[in-house]
Amino acid sequence: MKKVLSLVLALALVLGCMSFASADDAKIKLVVWSFTNELQGMIEKYYLPDHPELDIQFEIYPTDGNAYTTKVDNLLATTPDSDEAPDIFTLEAAFVKHYVESDWTGDLKTVGFTDEELSTAFPVMAQIGQNAAGVQKGLSWQSTPGALMYRASLAEKYLGVTTPEEFQEKVADWDTFLETAEELKEASEGAAKMVTGSGDIWNAYQYQRSEPWVVDGKLVIDDELLDFEELCKTLEQDDLTQKGGAWTETWFAGMQGVNETLVYLLPTWGLHYTLKPNCAPGASGDLTEEELQKVSEENNGTYGDWRMVEGPTAYSWGGTWMGINAAKAEKADDAKKAAIHDLIYFFSLNEDWLLTYAHDSGDFVGSATAVEKYLAEGEHPNPFLGGQDHYAIFAKGAALANGSLMSEYDDTINSLFSDYVTTPYTKGEKDLDTAIDEFKAAVAAQITTITVE
Amino acid sequence: MQKAQANKKKVKSISYSRYGYYFIAPFFITFLIFQLYPIFFTFRTSLTDAVGWEKVLNNSIIGFENFRQLFDPSSLVYPKFWGAMGNTIIIWFFNFVPQLGLALILASWFTDAHLHLKAQGFFKVTIFLPNIITAATIGMLFMSLFSFPVAPINTFLQSSGIANLPTEFFRSVAWSRGLISFIQWWMWCGNTMIVMIAGISGINPSIFEAALVDGCTSRQTFWKITLPLIKPILVYNLTTSLVGGLTMFDIPHMMTQGNPNETTNTVARFIYMQGFTGSRNFNMASAASVVLFGIIIIGSLVIRYLLNEHDPKPAKAGKGGK
Repeated sequence: MKKVLSLVLALALVLGCMSFASADDAKIKLVVWSFTNELQGMIEKYYLPDHPELDIQFEIYPTDGNAYTTKVDNLLATTPDSDEAPDIFTLEAAFVKHYVESDWTGDLKTVGFTDEELSTAFPVMAQIGQNAAGVQKGLSWQSTPGALMYRASLAEKYLGVTTPEEFQEKVADWDTFLETAEELKEASEGAAKMVTGSGDIWNAYQYQRSEPWVVDGKLVIDDELLDFEELCKTLEQDDLTQKGGAWTETWFAGMQGVNETLVYLLPTWGLHYTLKPNCAPGASGDLTEEELQKVSEENNGTYGDWRMVEGPTAYSWGGTWMGINAAKAEKADDAKKAAIHDLIYFFSLNEDWLLTYAHDSGDFVGSATAVEKYLAEGEHPNPFLGGQDHYAIFAKGAALANGSLMSEYDDTINSLFSDYVTTPYTKGEKDLDTAIDEFKAAVAAQITTITVE
Repeated sequence: MQKAQANKKKVKSISYSRYGYYFIAPFFITFLIFQLYPIFFTFRTSLTDAVGWEKVLNNSIIGFENFRQLFDPSSLVYPKFWGAMGNTIIIWFFNFVPQLGLALILASWFTDAHLHLKAQGFFKVTIFLPNIITAATIGMLFMSLFSFPVAPINTFLQSSGIANLPTEFFRSVAWSRGLISFIQWWMWCGNTMIVMIAGISGINPSIFEAALVDGCTSRQTFWKITLPLIKPILVYNLTTSLVGGLTMFDIPHMMTQGNPNETTNTVARFIYMQGFTGSRNFNMASAASVVLFGIIIIGSLVIRYLLNEHDPKPAKAGKGGK
């Protein structure tokens, strides 16, 4: 009896699979890889209902411990045109350059993108999605410009500043930034600090450079970086920071209002997912806007006390790009190419959808024309920023930030620079020349494909 | 009845050893594919120019160039690799000496018939407990406990009046290395202790009884009976500790990232940084792995020689001399 039953079940299983397969034959099969479920959620919610002809298989691997990149690298290096290989895969800021510089990612024009279409993306995001030869290989649904957030109550109490316009003058460039930090220390008698730590300003300051880390296969140490070191050292030695690093207790304590930290330099996602859910002791990302407000009032939090200005440098921090697998795109038939084009176009450049998405999620979208339309609708007051419209300020940063400053090995070089130069130099453990020599030696040992002089 | 007899006959003709092989087959198949093949692949890669994923399968053999760099003092990787080796040995030494010492003392107390400790189960579990937690978790835990300037340890030191200013533990070489050694020690002491207890329990109790009758003190029993008889267990502990210590990765990687100034960079972390960051120097990472492999083999053989073969002869000679 059992044997018969198991046979029937096995048969049913095989038949079930077969019938599925035959039904799917007419569909266009796409494999999409990503490191979060963000894109999958968007595709399932906004795209698949109108595109029944698509059969999309999603694979998600976390970026922790390089799991995602290792998986992608491994597959693309060995069998890039296999069925399990992705047609479309997402690329994070930390490694997007590595892929767009490789031959694994395809020119978006191979699936039918035109120059006209590509011109509506924010230049900074488009530039990061290009290789050194200017071939567009990645596009993003979002743009991640940065800005400077400050606490209005502290600015008024210690600096007598009441409007964001006045505050912008106080941080118009990095020299005035330092002057303001000194002024704050004097006025508050050391109680309030300008920033959590010198590492906090790196993400913005690196956009001060005129050249990326690697130009024509050579390591470049931009002069601005030496100024950066001096600025950090002064901030540290004059006791103008809380002496903490980003993502530490001290950093979050300033957001919660537990210590008096005037300034945070954060991008779009930092405002929504970092600053806001940490605006008070006991606040979290699970709370609604009203609940956050309530928790903040009860615990002396900072909800509504933040204001936003452009800050000293226009910069971009983070982001996710969609790239295509060159090996599979080349072999694809016209229908599939069109399907890939349509999907990427929809999520990166389709103004109507981006506008809807901006309203639904509050995310800062990747197309300049969509942002213009959004701003033309009028003010979108954000109660967290005391009624300021964050979109308008981010738009300025997005338009100005220079996307050509990223290079393939930024991730490695940035952390080496911080470990070998910024930290030991600002803490007075080493002089600058020794620190830079050690940094160069470390880069040369770790990245053997570039020249270090 | 007849059926049963038939079965019996059948059973007699079956060789059971065959089943033994079936049962261990899955392990060996997995071992061949996921361990032995990668080991050979690593040996091969160490002789190639495989830099970057593109060249993992598509590379050419360049001979011993990578090894030359590892042993040539003028090369870039030389100070980093041997520096990492030095760090690893220092951290391992300060983990291993107290670990083995304390585990031995605890094991002899727990097995001592004289003492007859109460609530042994409770103590054994408590001492073993840290071993259950993942190393990475403990690394994160200690990182947040000892971070700067606001963290539990600094807050405690300041509020209890021991220190006026917060200490930046992870910029101090001694603290950084010390904490890593301490975590390793704290995590593995219980494990070593359990293995020691097992070893001591395996000694024939009549030997201890004879010693008791002859009027041995506890100390004499420990040095003259327990210690010599658990030598195989000591060799096992020393060897596993050597392998574990020299391949140490997760705690330094999670907690200090090799800082300050590379003083907590271990060999395994050097290999990781070569292979999985920057330009992905798989060749250099493989060569360093092979060198580490060699060092571990030599170390294990030295331990074996010192404790197993070498000892009994001089001991006899010594007695005769007296």
